[in-house]
Amino acid sequence: MGGVMSVMGRLSAWLFTPMPLARVAVLRWLVYAFVIIDVLLLHTSGWYHGFADPVWYEPLIMGEVFRLPAASVLLVETLKWGCVLGALAALTGKAPRVLGWTVAVCWIWYQYVAFSYGKVDHDRADFVVALALLPTVGLAHLSDRRRSEAAGMALRAIQMAAIATYFLSAWAKLRFGGPEWVNSATMVRAVVRRGTPWAQWLLEIPWTLHWFQWVLMAAELTAPVIFLLSEKWRRRVVAAWFAFHAMTYAAITIAFWPHLVMMLAFLPLEEYADRLRSWWTRRFSSGAAPPGESRPASRPGAGVGCARPSDRRRRRGR
Amino acid sequence: MSVNQGDNGSGVLRLSRIGRAWRAAVVVALIALFCAGSLVGNDHWWPFSPWRMFATSQAATGSVWSTGIEVRTADEPGEWVRAPLTPENVGVNRAEVEGRIPQIEADPARLGTLAESHAKLRPGAAAWIGLRVVRHKIVVVDREPTGEVETEVLAEWAAS
Repeated sequence: MGGVMSVMGRLSAWLFTPMPLARVAVLRWLVYAFVIIDVLLLHTSGWYHGFADPVWYEPLIMGEVFRLPAASVLLVETLKWGCVLGALAALTGKAPRVLGWTVAVCWIWYQYVAFSYGKVDHDRADFVVALALLPTVGLAHLSDRRRSEAAGMALRAIQMAAIATYFLSAWAKLRFGGPEWVNSATMVRAVVRRGTPWAQWLLEIPWTLHWFQWVLMAAELTAPVIFLLSEKWRRRVVAAWFAFHAMTYAAITIAFWPHLVMMLAFLPLEEYADRLRSWWTRRFSSGAAPPGESRPASRPGAGVGCARPSDRRRRRGR
Repeated sequence: MSVNQGDNGSGVLRLSRIGRAWRAAVVVALIALFCAGSLVGNDHWWPFSPWRMFATSQAATGSVWSTGIEVRTADEPGEWVRAPLTPENVGVNRAEVEGRIPQIEADPARLGTLAESHAKLRPGAAAWIGLRVVRHKIVVVDREPTGEVETEVLAEWAAS
């Protein structure tokens, strides 16, 4: 019994590890900016469903539970501009709960419209977690150096959802493709159907895509190990995943955009924001502000969760 | 909703017991839903559906299917030309049509709705008076495309 309690205690301490409010502020900013780019440019199939005949509508369970209708031009325009205006308002950081959950409802419904015509994109589910949980942190300012358990929980949940995407997609490959997935021609199929000109050589050397399937399966199954790594290696693994996604995009023009934003929850975003701000100040207003003024954020160690910021700063050789 | 208990002078904002409890419950519920979706769910469970990107096994030797549409326009009624099967052109995409092949074969009149959507989305383009779904089978031997492509017409619709 005592053992169970201590495991629960450690899990709870891990889930509620205090993290900087400023990190949530930066991630929120990136998430809401992404929502605007996403609905206007990246993922527009939902909007076009407003023009499709309802005969193609195939309600998902969510649609049956909430009795959601087939798309119409009015509905898709409302959801699209609801996302944009809601996200623009949320970018100010004001009323984070009301505005954040408004954006969440609009974006999720807009995705529902996109996915209820027979084709579900499998890369967008984890972003729902970010939209649903970021508002729970409440007010979070870019300059707020305090750490908070609420911020820690939201960031931890986003990290878990992002990593679940890898692990559970390996699981899906085993469930639907079977263990023989690693020896199948699935990647050949992907490159045949949507390969870019600079990916065609992969088809001429078939072992490349074959071995890539083994590497991908191994990487996805072991993805949760990232939570056991040191801060330094955690960042290297995040960088490796970004490199993987860049290669995938170059080969078959598929990128899991919302998921890429989620992966940023592993990084000390508030430090990057500080560095960007001080670079900006040095570059564009040299001499305008006395040294140190309005830059409390850049003091060493300010508001950083579990990393050793002073080490990192030294390493990067400012 | 407010659950922060203040920072006790330590620079760390703690949560109340209730604040911790409901957050932990939400995380447990999300884990349960995502795991259940991956274990027994299907696409209809979205956002808790299985993450099955590229999850099917394609036989190393066989054929890769690719579906497209061809149309006859009012300008050139005698000729079938390929048309993009994209949301921008017909309101739905290729995968959405590929998933409904049995329904389309049972009721080819459904293809007429694609011509209607095309007219709404591209009012300046020549009207479509005929539309057919074609399937290209690209032959693959030992994970390598041979260059051989078989094409078959699955369903055809003509404006009445």
